[in-house]
Amino acid sequence: MAEIYTRFDPALDVITNQRQVVSSGMWSGGVGTLATFHTSSVQSGSSGQYYLDVYKTNPRTDNDAEIQYSIIYGHIYGSGSYGVTKNYPTKAIYKQFANLLLAPNDRLFTFAGSKDSNDIFAISIQRARLREKMDPGNWELWISGSNPVGASASGNGLIKLIDDSGATTNPSVNQGGRVFNVVSGSIATGKAVIETTAANQTGGGYGLFYPDMGIIILHPQILRNNTGPSTTVALSHFPSSSDGINDDNAGTIQKHVKAGSYFVARREEVLNTTHYFCRATNRKFNFSTNPSFFTASDGSFTNASFFRDPKTYITTVGLYNENNELLAVAKLSKPLLKSFSREAIVKVRLDF
Amino acid sequence: MGYLDNTTTTVDAILTKKGRELLARGENEFKITKFSLSDDEIDYTLWDVTHPDGTNSYGAAIENMPLLEAFPDENQVMRYKLVTLPKDTVKLPIIEVPQPSIIFKNAGVVQPITPTTRNGSDSKLGYTLVLHNSDAADLVIAKGGEVLTKGATTPVFLSDTERKKSITVIGNSFNLISRSTSATIVTQITIHGNETGGTLTIPVTVNANT
Repeated sequence: MAEIYTRFDPALDVITNQRQVVSSGMWSGGVGTLATFHTSSVQSGSSGQYYLDVYKTNPRTDNDAEIQYSIIYGHIYGSGSYGVTKNYPTKAIYKQFANLLLAPNDRLFTFAGSKDSNDIFAISIQRARLREKMDPGNWELWISGSNPVGASASGNGLIKLIDDSGATTNPSVNQGGRVFNVVSGSIATGKAVIETTAANQTGGGYGLFYPDMGIIILHPQILRNNTGPSTTVALSHFPSSSDGINDDNAGTIQKHVKAGSYFVARREEVLNTTHYFCRATNRKFNFSTNPSFFTASDGSFTNASFFRDPKTYITTVGLYNENNELLAVAKLSKPLLKSFSREAIVKVRLDF
Repeated sequence: MGYLDNTTTTVDAILTKKGRELLARGENEFKITKFSLSDDEIDYTLWDVTHPDGTNSYGAAIENMPLLEAFPDENQVMRYKLVTLPKDTVKLPIIEVPQPSIIFKNAGVVQPITPTTRNGSDSKLGYTLVLHNSDAADLVIAKGGEVLTKGATTPVFLSDTERKKSITVIGNSFNLISRSTSATIVTQITIHGNETGGTLTIPVTVNANT
């Protein structure tokens, strides 16, 4: 009897729910380093009081430009922005992030050294870039110093920020998932080297990092007044806290990030994989319905040598449900010979 | 001494459009229970028994060929399935119908279609029939022609327009009923054997109302 489908033995042929952690570069194209930064006048013109979208390529000239992250300034009383009522955009932003990341009874962001802050900068990674979460211990952001236009990306006036996950064995977990401190340091050597711990940072920690949310919260006052051991950054005209005036603080911090020209990051996702072992034993799959295999008139072999010794080539594996509906398909990299004297096992991996 | 090759070929699968649809529907229909193999892209006339390097090289032209990546359209892949048959098989199964083509001169005419499989049998799982253009006719399973199989994916090559107008039914015997049309419609029926994988296409013409 002819047969084109072979049933899997669930006990022998199927391995379900293999969990595998996969990490890759965060930015467009799966690259890990972002060195070019662009904003869109169209976006900033419409919603720039709330946030700025940052692109890898110029959205004005590249129709396929993709958002990499959004950068935001928030102030608990609304300073740095204006509006019709006192509920200014920066106030809405601060409360939005507090609602998202802080405990229900906590209204202020508190950085290392028990430093409460009325304002924050936030970097929120675009969903498509983040996928599932940021990879802790594998990002580094450079913020350049006092003169963002043409500032040097090395030497004085440069802050190199990483997280302290490598030095934290028991991270605190709050409303926004795991949270680590943002500290000065570098991952350039392949492992995180912390320059100054958050506890020892003068004036308080640089910020907080929420890997599960893909959000980095920065502490504006510490960035402005930084007196770190190897860098002295005086961020000019920033942040203004004028009440009722749009100071474009998000635009200002973005200029400093752009001048730093270096944001390396990885994302991490857990794949649930199921493996199917497709066993083509010696007596199976040795004939083909391929029109070049037999003649249409009477079904005889086009190649006479295939009589009693047929040869077929496996190129594609199809996975079906009970109704013979094709649910998944896999291709081999090159044709695999099959005959009565050969057996083949093709392991098909399906990620969810 | 070299090392023995103990590797298993490992490949990554992608979901088809149908797979994504059933996964999204979440009604336990996305449950993989069987597999099939195909030799899409292979032309066996490249099997060269005159190759000067001998028998091991008869298939060299095929074996050295790179393959395309998988397509997510379930109707465009697994076109030519590999089939299990006895070793002494002399001829491959062929789908046949009594009529090489069907021509309707009037609307409402019933044309029975009862496929058979020469050199094999598809009676257990039946046949999948795809009428490419339902503007021409209606296609139904004939009384007593039902089989347990339902919803099978059949590789047929339909245009976007045809896909919207196509009808797919599964059974052992069928009735094709012509429709009223103001212009003559020429279309096709593809018949697919669900056990043997054999395929046959016959033309269907429905003449305009006179």
